[in-house]
Amino acid sequence: MVKLFNAQQLRLINKYAIRDFSRSYKKLWVVASTLFISLLLLSLTFSVKEALNNEIEANAKELLGGDIQITSGIDPLPSLVFEELKALGKVSSSIELATMVSKKGQSSVFSELRAVDDNYPLYGEIITTPQGAAEKIFLNTDKPTVLINESIQNLLQVEIGDDVVIMGKSFNVAGLVLSVPDLAERAVFGEFAIISKSSYDQFELSSAGSFLDHEYRLKFNNSNEEGEQTRLAKSIIAYDDTIETRLPGESGRSLNRIIDNFSNFLNLVSVSAMIIAGIGISNTLLSFVNQRNTSIAVKKSIGFSSNFIQLMYFYEIILILIGTSIIAYLFGVFSPLLANEFLPKSLGIDLQPTISLIGYLNIFFIGLLVVLIFSIPSLYSISEIKAVALFRNTFQPVSLNFSLKNIILLAILVTILTTYFVLQTDQKYYTVLYFLAFFITMLIFYGVSKLLIFFLRRLHKFSNNGYRIAYRNIVAKKSLAPIMTISLGIGLTLLLTLSFVANNLKKEISDSIPSMAPDLFFVSIDRDIKSDLEAFIKNIDPNVALEFSPMASASFISLNGTPIEEIVSKNNRSAWVVRGDRRISWAEKPKPDNPIIEGEWWEPGNEDEMFISMDSRAAYDLGMKINDKITLNILGRDVTGTLKNFREVDYRDISVNFAIIINKAFANKLPYEYIGTLKSDLSSNDILALVVERFPNVSAIKVDRILSQISGVLNKIFIAVTGISLIVIVIGLIVIVSAVMVQATFRRYNNLIYKILGVDFPTILKAMTIEFAVIYFTLIFFALSVAVLGSYLVVENTLQLTWKFDLGLTLWILLTTATVSFVLILMANKSIFSPKVYPLIRNE
Amino acid sequence: MSEAIQFNNVSLNYGSKNDVVEVLKRINFSVNSEEIISIVGPSGSGKTSIIMLASGLETATEGSIKINNEEIVGLKEDKLSEVRRKNIGIVFQSFYLIPNLTAIENVLLSLEANQKYNQDDDAKALLADFGLYHRLNHLPSELSGGEQQRVAIARALINKPKIILADEPTGNLDSANSASMMDLLFNYTKKSKTSLVMVTHDNSIAERCDRIIEIKDGQIV
Repeated sequence: MVKLFNAQQLRLINKYAIRDFSRSYKKLWVVASTLFISLLLLSLTFSVKEALNNEIEANAKELLGGDIQITSGIDPLPSLVFEELKALGKVSSSIELATMVSKKGQSSVFSELRAVDDNYPLYGEIITTPQGAAEKIFLNTDKPTVLINESIQNLLQVEIGDDVVIMGKSFNVAGLVLSVPDLAERAVFGEFAIISKSSYDQFELSSAGSFLDHEYRLKFNNSNEEGEQTRLAKSIIAYDDTIETRLPGESGRSLNRIIDNFSNFLNLVSVSAMIIAGIGISNTLLSFVNQRNTSIAVKKSIGFSSNFIQLMYFYEIILILIGTSIIAYLFGVFSPLLANEFLPKSLGIDLQPTISLIGYLNIFFIGLLVVLIFSIPSLYSISEIKAVALFRNTFQPVSLNFSLKNIILLAILVTILTTYFVLQTDQKYYTVLYFLAFFITMLIFYGVSKLLIFFLRRLHKFSNNGYRIAYRNIVAKKSLAPIMTISLGIGLTLLLTLSFVANNLKKEISDSIPSMAPDLFFVSIDRDIKSDLEAFIKNIDPNVALEFSPMASASFISLNGTPIEEIVSKNNRSAWVVRGDRRISWAEKPKPDNPIIEGEWWEPGNEDEMFISMDSRAAYDLGMKINDKITLNILGRDVTGTLKNFREVDYRDISVNFAIIINKAFANKLPYEYIGTLKSDLSSNDILALVVERFPNVSAIKVDRILSQISGVLNKIFIAVTGISLIVIVIGLIVIVSAVMVQATFRRYNNLIYKILGVDFPTILKAMTIEFAVIYFTLIFFALSVAVLGSYLVVENTLQLTWKFDLGLTLWILLTTATVSFVLILMANKSIFSPKVYPLIRNE
Repeated sequence: MSEAIQFNNVSLNYGSKNDVVEVLKRINFSVNSEEIISIVGPSGSGKTSIIMLASGLETATEGSIKINNEEIVGLKEDKLSEVRRKNIGIVFQSFYLIPNLTAIENVLLSLEANQKYNQDDDAKALLADFGLYHRLNHLPSELSGGEQQRVAIARALINKPKIILADEPTGNLDSANSASMMDLLFNYTKKSKTSLVMVTHDNSIAERCDRIIEIKDGQIV
């Protein structure tokens, strides 16, 4: 060409590509379908995440319940401060506490109780059944009323109009809370009730100890000066460091973090699916090029350059990408409407589809990178097709072109793809690790296929025809082994790894933890009733195992004089230990199940000096050393103590454990309460009912209820995760089926020759079964090895649980995958079982 | 009369250093413009190799090849493609039509490679001259061998090249088709004042040419 790719030539490329595509679309269905499925998965993830973020952003004030939220902790704000805040706007004060809600004399349930004033909610509304039930809690009637959520209703078996008991006082159930505007986690996932603040004050429901928060929400008078008003509100409460504030942007932060982590995982699975799809694209394109060998040579003989022809096929693939990405994006855009059906109604979230060019370009860009990475080696093989072959009629199939230039180009594109994903997530380290593991696994499986061929070549003396044909098929140049090993191997490895992790976690929750864990947790036991409570329970069951630990609230201020927030990043694994209020305890001697692994325990006595014992894992994560000086704020007073030792704390048994323990002699001066556990052979329901009746202010959590809630959430997550990893396998199977179909002519020809030579159908079927079995069993060995290693590292190191192998689950996954794969391969191969002699002899 | 093709001391070898196959041994010849020559010789003598070298699809081991006075030995692929597009039309023994393109699309391909667009009428006229007007929109699989070769010749001629290189163009045809095909080719090359270099085994066809070059063991005899 005189000038490379001027406008007219580009039009020509467009014309050729569209014509070629319209006449050969059947050969490109694998490219289109695998691309579509993987892009759809990516699009669904991005769209739902974007819709959730938009919803949270748009309803930031509703989710917070005000223009600013102030939390003063156990103590209310002084009335003067409260009055000052009222000058800025409308104030709604509420108290949140954890307490027992009971059906009189029968079952009890540990619930979050919110006591609200009549200004609540400042934004949005409380949705109830029946409508308007929220107003009833503020009516001045003889009997106070309560709104409960569906979970309490189900657990206590109460109806609207029935009575429930809260801290010894009887409340009439006015209605069911369906949702509250400000996000309440327990309203969604647990037990939640609302009463009026006047009921709370009137009945002196005040002994909730340290599990209590006073919250104030403000709606500013002048919404145009929110920045200034916020500054003023903050200055009013600046006198106390422990008072926390939250602004609308921060309201959905924890939900955002969960969404980010889950969508990051989904994105990684999507890109894995896309990379496997890429293998199929590469294979299909290569066979496409080989099938068009003559046409390409003719074009070259006429005067078209390799670059022109390559660009034409690239353009064809890009057209497919544009088409599939638009459809996948549109499906994704409307997926939030479907997601609404699966989100708990109590979240009060209504996702809306949003179409954005940036959103589409994001999907397209990732698809483009994957398409380029996998089509370059295939399409650059066009340059290896020589037009001189037209004179000799000697066409050789071309193979993937891995020239140095291509390798550098591919390395750059893979780096861009990885970086693009890494930059979009907070979990950068894990994302890089995932990509690294993924590419290493790909290389391992490629190596496995080569190893299999290598060993088979050395063991080729088979006396049986079925084995010989299977052997020839595996070691042949166009063998299924590499593509099947890589595409099915990665999918199977992912499925096995996730299933192993999920299974270990589920077993820990359903089997191991219940056997070790107590039946009941008592929270915030007033020290005045501790002895009576202990005696009462021992009277019910003399063999009960009861354990009480003293407890006070403290917050972390500094380490060796440096403010802790300057030392510990938000992403630190143990940041939770130093964030916000933390319960600390004290002891004369270390607990037997908390062995000291560094430093020494302190001598008894010395009430003027505070000594500290830390959970070793947290201490190492936070960079602490023995003899460091730690300043804690205990009950409003900063106290500096010396770090004396690190304990190994095992939280798995859900017994009472503390990250921070101080010396008893010093702690004796502090006001405190108790936390306790109970394990008994008697029914925990019965014990709890008796305890709550006798001690209305005691709160207890039933461990099996918590575990069943966790199991429920985990089950849903695992179903989703397994479903997603199955998509990777489905794409792998499409890729394999396409590879089988690409080979169909070659296999049909071979089978015809076998047929002419007298080999019967059962032998051909047997050969195919042996071929599949040899490849699959080799693949299983490595997939299982990688999955065992990967899941072991996650379970033992990240989740800190004991890894166990489940043979039944493993066999189930392997057999199911093998059956589905083999049936699909047979179906794709059906045309080769009875090849028609005539067309092949006539070379048609 | 200017020279359309010049071969000066052209050699073509295949194989490795220790196992060299000398296909052409320092051959010299030229083809004048509007001249029709045939290359004859036994199988394996190097006839087709001359066509391959003249078309720029194969590279000479040594020597000089000029097409319309332009040296093509040592040119890069893109430049060779340009020389081919501007000067040469090739007719193969096996026709080599593109199977998913219709007869007219196969012919237009040659024009479009030269950035000549919207010349469908020329292609239709040429195919009509070749008796294929009723076959314009048929795929190669729907054409007979003779029809396919006529489309292939039309594809080579449509661009009005200065040189036609034909490698046994009637090798796959019966005698009746073969004769009518050669009439077509001779008439059109003369009419369009094109040079024609044709490899053939058929003496009757060779004798109709202006000149015969005989090759044996890679040398002109």
